Amino acid sequence: MLSAFGTAFVLLGLMASIAGMLIGSVALVRDQRSPNGSATLKPAMKSMRQFASMVPAAGIGAFIVMEIALFRRDYSVSFVQQVGSDSIPPIFNFAALWSALEGSLILWALTLGLYIAAVLWKFADKKNDPLLGWAMVVLLGISTFFFGLLALPANPFQRVSVAADFVGRGPNPLLQDHVLVAFHPPMLYLGYVGFAVPFAFAIAALITGRLGEGWLVETRRWTVIAWGFLTFGIVLGAWWSYEVLGWGGYWAWDPVENASLLPWLTGTAFLHSVMVQERRGMLRVWNLSLVCATFCLTILGTFLTRSGVIDSVHAFADGAVGPWLLTFFAIVTVGSVGLIGWRGDRLRSPGAIDSPLSREASFLANNVLFGAMAFVVLLGTVFPLFAEAFDGSRLTIGRPYFDSLGRPIAIVTLFLMAVAPVLPWRKASTELLSTRLFWPAVAAVGVTAFAVLVGARGFWPVMTFALSGFAGGSAVRQVVLATRRQGWRGFVGRTNGGMIVHLGVIILAMGVAASESYKTDRIFTMSPGETVFVESHSFTYEGLGADRTSRRDRTFARVSIDGGQVYEPARTRYTQQGMVVGTPSVKPGITEDLYLVLDDIPQDDPQAPIRLRVIVRPLITWIWAGGVLMGIGTLLAVVPGNRSPSIPTAQPAGDGAASGSSPDRSRSALSRAFTSLRRRLTRTPTELHASQGGL
Amino acid sequence: MSQFAGTRASWAFVVVALVGLIAFASLGGDDDQSAGERAEALYDKFACPTCDGQSVAESNAAVAATIREFIRDEVAAGTSDTDIRNALVQGYGTEVLLNPPASGIATLVWVLPVLALVGGSAVVFNAVSRNNLGSADPTAEDEALVAELLESASDEVDNTGSDG
Repeated sequence: MLSAFGTAFVLLGLMASIAGMLIGSVALVRDQRSPNGSATLKPAMKSMRQFASMVPAAGIGAFIVMEIALFRRDYSVSFVQQVGSDSIPPIFNFAALWSALEGSLILWALTLGLYIAAVLWKFADKKNDPLLGWAMVVLLGISTFFFGLLALPANPFQRVSVAADFVGRGPNPLLQDHVLVAFHPPMLYLGYVGFAVPFAFAIAALITGRLGEGWLVETRRWTVIAWGFLTFGIVLGAWWSYEVLGWGGYWAWDPVENASLLPWLTGTAFLHSVMVQERRGMLRVWNLSLVCATFCLTILGTFLTRSGVIDSVHAFADGAVGPWLLTFFAIVTVGSVGLIGWRGDRLRSPGAIDSPLSREASFLANNVLFGAMAFVVLLGTVFPLFAEAFDGSRLTIGRPYFDSLGRPIAIVTLFLMAVAPVLPWRKASTELLSTRLFWPAVAAVGVTAFAVLVGARGFWPVMTFALSGFAGGSAVRQVVLATRRQGWRGFVGRTNGGMIVHLGVIILAMGVAASESYKTDRIFTMSPGETVFVESHSFTYEGLGADRTSRRDRTFARVSIDGGQVYEPARTRYTQQGMVVGTPSVKPGITEDLYLVLDDIPQDDPQAPIRLRVIVRPLITWIWAGGVLMGIGTLLAVVPGNRSPSIPTAQPAGDGAASGSSPDRSRSALSRAFTSLRRRLTRTPTELHASQGGL
Repeated sequence: MSQFAGTRASWAFVVVALVGLIAFASLGGDDDQSAGERAEALYDKFACPTCDGQSVAESNAAVAATIREFIRDEVAAGTSDTDIRNALVQGYGTEVLLNPPASGIATLVWVLPVLALVGGSAVVFNAVSRNNLGSADPTAEDEALVAELLESASDEVDNTGSDG
């Protein structure tokens, strides 16, 4: 019964997407061909919107049916047979939906449906605009693909027979252990899929030839929101990995992790360079390319990790969807590149960069750095594939490679984060830089001196602290100036929210530098009653304990830290999978975390020694704190700030009707002329004001 | 103090302090690395052969534990890093190296990012310096634009300025 309902929703989503896409694109092409526009455009747009609004309904329907099937333990549904279990607690049963390939595609379809609904609602006043129409066609094209995957190669709702003695195994034990599993994937998907919206508008702008700043202004908040979700999703994933996987780290440069980092890097580059286009009208091709690349990379990442091409600890190996995803990736990439090439002549920029000491030049430098990092991550992820195809050599590319190339890039990025926020548009004088950067430089000296005083050594970490102080000083300076000028409103808006995000990045960077450079990792063989010392903390092994549920047998060691509270690192055997998982126990702290892993337990004699791994990682909680601050900054950035709107609203009108001529038209001509003049002269009153108010 | 801030002397002071601190911190460290720290640093450099690219430090697999033990014993016995590396490569193949070697086709993985970075910087540098030449004076096009604007602005005043 439930499989029939589920399949029906999938087919509804597929059919509605195809119908809406076809009706919309035919009408839009016809409209574009005829000089006066097509009379049939309006009804066709209406009909496309009706089909489009069925897509979120289908996504929600499929999601709810699958959750009901999971909670009812309806093992006649293929996906429930794969990941369902009688003994699993409700929260992990709910999250089991995204614990394997087919279900995670339902989550993808649901998220895309919700974004489509949001676009329909948000742009209700522009419903007959061809730009919006084309964007909707693109979004429906994407949803056609994902509902198509659900309908054909990866159908989670297949009806299967249930053997009499069937016992559900539940999801992978690692996914039934920690509450973050319920939040990390949805956040990540909201980020990935969210980039489909700016991508759709970029493609629509290319098709309609309306390549000015209009589509950018329409979608910039969407991009920031998608970026915020992706950032938060990645940090939650790192935290989950730290709390669950038991190796004391949070980022392994695993292909799946890299796949999430790639769109984050290009998305971050876009969020910066887009400001150059809004302000100066430059970098049009580049920005379109970044938006398209970001979306292509999410699809490539999905292909790499969901097709079984690359082995990874958390890839869902399933060959069937591989060719589909590769084809879709090829269509999206070739389509984007082709459209950009075709419109190349319309994309020439009117502006120019005057000085390397300017805001726009610093954004370009940012783009070089983020582009280079994205290239390093992509190359490191796929190179083993090419090397093996080329001469059969088997290579592994891991942490040392990414560290040695990523570290210098990160250091230069931090330096740029210190200098760029104080730079004005167009051109800065050295005197201006010298005044504005002085206190941030003093902050750098202060932070470095403090770090060295408490024992920090080594070039890379101390350099990171110094530049964090520098960049932090610069971000704080901007926020202080803004709040002094505008009161509490100084915290909201894109520029100020962006500075809060910078502060989050800086805290995160210090956390990474300290926890990587100063970690201590020791392994001890200990008998009950024995005490060991690591970094001036004592660890006493008091004895073994055990508890058992129908789902798992947990054997834990009681270890007291500094003679106080007892921690219980465990080895848990999941009975249904017969798999043993080490469950770490963490004592978190602001200055350092103490992380205990039970490497080995005695089989028979409880008095026999255990093998205990003790890991001390300074400042690792700063990484999570930095992630949270980045999330807060993103929220502040999407709240409308006190900036003047990008396109000047009409001047206060006289009583136009009395004059008899057409003031509306002359006003819009003035407004257009004013915009282009402003693009040339660049500085708006707010910007002038800001540059005069410097310290 | 505000008189002093931002002057040449104040910057000299700040730069000397920073360089001094960073130099002190980077020169003072690594010599007295303990055996445990050396072993730890080595765990990060080798891949666990059975677990899809995880390092020996990260993995809980049995073979990773074996390699950790091997490294710990060899370090305690005073074997050099190179010898430990060679022994592991002999036992498990080049796949055990997390850092791709700078030989054969793997050279590309080091060369390409550097080329990309240099190329990208060159493009940006070119964009900035080329446009830097002679953009100070208004062109004829600029002047035409301003004239057109003034005209449309005065139209505006004519049309709507009756109540002003």
